[in-house]
Amino acid sequence: MSPDFDTAVKLHIYRTIAETTKAPSAAEVAQSLGVDVPEVEAAFGRLHGRRLLVPEPADPSHIRMAPPFSGIATPFPVVVQGRRYFANCVWDAFGIPAALHADAVIPASDGFDGEPIMLAVKDQRPVPQPCVIHFAVPAAHWWDDIVYT
Amino acid sequence: MLLFRSEETVDRWCEAHQTPRRPLVRLEQLWQLAVIWYENRLTAESRRPAPQDMVGIFASLGLEGPFWDPMADRWQTTRA
Repeated sequence: MSPDFDTAVKLHIYRTIAETTKAPSAAEVAQSLGVDVPEVEAAFGRLHGRRLLVPEPADPSHIRMAPPFSGIATPFPVVVQGRRYFANCVWDAFGIPAALHADAVIPASDGFDGEPIMLAVKDQRPVPQPCVIHFAVPAAHWWDDIVYT
Repeated sequence: MLLFRSEETVDRWCEAHQTPRRPLVRLEQLWQLAVIWYENRLTAESRRPAPQDMVGIFASLGLEGPFWDPMADRWQTTRA
C-alpha cells in the first residue's frame, strides 16, 4: 500500500478526533475512505511502526492512542472550545492545544496525592502555574511500554 | 511522566514507588516540547521527530545528558 494511503488514513483519524473528540474504528475509516477494513487495519499497523498510532493491543481495529489524543478516557482531560478530549499524559495534554492551535483548560492533578492542578493554555502559551513534571523513564525506553510512559 | 505541584510531592512519590528521582521539567519546557511534537500533527507533512533530531531538541531546552538520549531506541526512521 502506498505511503499516500497511510497518510490519508492518518489524516482521517486525526481530523475525525479533532472534530468529534472520538477516535474512529478501522471500519469507520474504511467506510469513509471507500476501502476494505483489512486495508485500514494494515495501515494502522504501519502507522504504529512509525509511532503515530497505537492500536488497542487486544483489538487492533480500534485506536488506543493517536498522540497527543487518547482513544479512551484518561486522567488527562483537555477542554478546547467546549469540547472534551483526552490526552495520554501531561505532555500530550499540552499537545492537544498545540495541535489544534487553540486555548485549552486542563483539569489535572498531582501525581502523588491527586490534589487538583488546573493547567491552561492561552494564546499558545502555558498559563504560569507552580508545578513540575517528573520523567521517570529515560528517553531511550519511552516506547518500551508507551502506555506506562 | 507525571505532574506534581512541588518538588516535595515528587520526592514523596519517588519514595512511595521506590523509584530514583529523575530529571524535572518546567511547564514552559513541556509546552515547547508539545509544540515541537504536535503543532503540525493534523497536516499531511507531520512526523514524529527522529532520534537524531530529538537530541538537539532536548538540548535546546536545556535537557541534556544520557537520560534524554533516545539513540539506543529501536525504531524505524522512515518519515510519516
